[in-house]
Amino acid sequence: MKKPFPLRLKLILETLNNLHDGSELHGIMQVNVMLKLVQWVLLVLSWIALPAFSAPMAIPALISPVTDLTQTLSPQSQQSLAQKLNQLSKEKGSQIAVLIVDTTQPEDIAQFGIRVAEAWKIGRDKQDDGVIIIVAKADRKMRIEVGYGLEGAIPDLTAKRVISETMAPRFRQGDFEGGLNAAIDQLTALIAGEALPAPQKQSSQSGGLLEWLPILMFVAIFTGMVLRSIFGTYAGSALNGGALSVLVWVLGGALLTVGLVFIAAFIFTLAMGGNRGGGYGGYPTGYGGGYGGGGLSGRDIFSGGGGDFGGGGASGDW
Amino acid sequence: MRQLYTKLLPLLLVLGLSGCGYNAFQTLDEETKASWSEVLNQYQRRADLVPNLVETVKGYAEHEKEVLTEVADARSKVGSIQVTPEVLNDPEAFAKFQAAQGQLTSALSRLMAVAENYPNLKADQGFRDLQAQLEGTENRVTVARNRYIESVKEYNISVRSFPNNLTAMMFGYKAKPSFTVENEKAISSAPKVDFGNTK
Repeated sequence: MKKPFPLRLKLILETLNNLHDGSELHGIMQVNVMLKLVQWVLLVLSWIALPAFSAPMAIPALISPVTDLTQTLSPQSQQSLAQKLNQLSKEKGSQIAVLIVDTTQPEDIAQFGIRVAEAWKIGRDKQDDGVIIIVAKADRKMRIEVGYGLEGAIPDLTAKRVISETMAPRFRQGDFEGGLNAAIDQLTALIAGEALPAPQKQSSQSGGLLEWLPILMFVAIFTGMVLRSIFGTYAGSALNGGALSVLVWVLGGALLTVGLVFIAAFIFTLAMGGNRGGGYGGYPTGYGGGYGGGGLSGRDIFSGGGGDFGGGGASGDW
Repeated sequence: MRQLYTKLLPLLLVLGLSGCGYNAFQTLDEETKASWSEVLNQYQRRADLVPNLVETVKGYAEHEKEVLTEVADARSKVGSIQVTPEVLNDPEAFAKFQAAQGQLTSALSRLMAVAENYPNLKADQGFRDLQAQLEGTENRVTVARNRYIESVKEYNISVRSFPNNLTAMMFGYKAKPSFTVENEKAISSAPKVDFGNTK
């Protein structure tokens, strides 16, 4: 069973409610009757599926390197931790993920941990260089799950020490962010000592190009000005578009992106206009918008790379 | 006509074999072997920890002879069992192996429970390190066993279901033994601390 039953139930009910809201086709009475009927069926179904409720906890989907189901971390600290972990994933290739849950009952945190590891697959495929930090707040337990490839860099002993000497004292004072932050720093330092292959360029393709965006913008402005003054408005714009799309292509952009860049740069250079002052004033807004959008779509996607775990690491409490 | 037969026969044989699960047996058989060697690896890792652990505990709790000899005995028994790949196809040998490992598991958990009564031992850095290593290894054993159970399940389903079972019979592929539930319980349950028995 991939999706836990209660979750699916909720999903179905939500869909039904949406249907209810936008019911132009049916009369409200009809929809109500239908809704009642479906609710009845679902109720009966939930009796049948009742044993599923005592089944182990569902693993949350991996969207960000920091998953906090308890709202323990403030949005800011969650973001700063996530940024740090995204950075590691980008620069070293190894991945660390944090999961804070209320409880892992009825499972032991180690059993839960290996299930999370198998579901998330943190770390790269062959390197298996992923680490998952799990905190069960109500159980007052934590675990560091270490991927196969990092069992040398982070032996069980070291993981245990990070837990008992770095995390536990801070957690006892309620400083979850500080504990996690320090643990992440220690683990990152340990991983840095391990000789691992550099991250592949392909995996960070979109993020990489978006990183170049501000530089590309400036290049576009300057080459645009030069080319326009030499070749005239239209030829200069076209040349500028061509030059930029070649640059993007060299940087590893997909063909579609290259095409879009050509068109964008062409229009951009055309729009620069004869009036230098006015044209210049237009750029900052374009720049800001492009960068912000890039930040959203390129940076914040975090997913496991297929790393395997074998139960290495350590558990502890506070 | 005869020529046609001699040409078709190998083709039919190949198609027939893959259709009857012969190729699936090969894949699944290899998978069970791979997951089995991971189980062995982790058991070996645990066995390697035992001498150090016994020595460390002895330093603080020498008169706990009963538990200490129990662990040492279980350790030597585990070491004496020859584990060949054939163990996988021999339920009796498998049961013997499992019993020996189970004995070491329970002896070790008793030892750790006894250690709880010695504050000095518990505070010893060497002991704490060994404890962390033992915990990690036991967890790896559990994971490796679960993966072995999964792979055997897949293999056994393939061997037993029709028409694969006919092919299996023909080539002598038998269902493989797996870890039993009682033993699973002994491993996953926390050690009991019985203050009445410990001196």
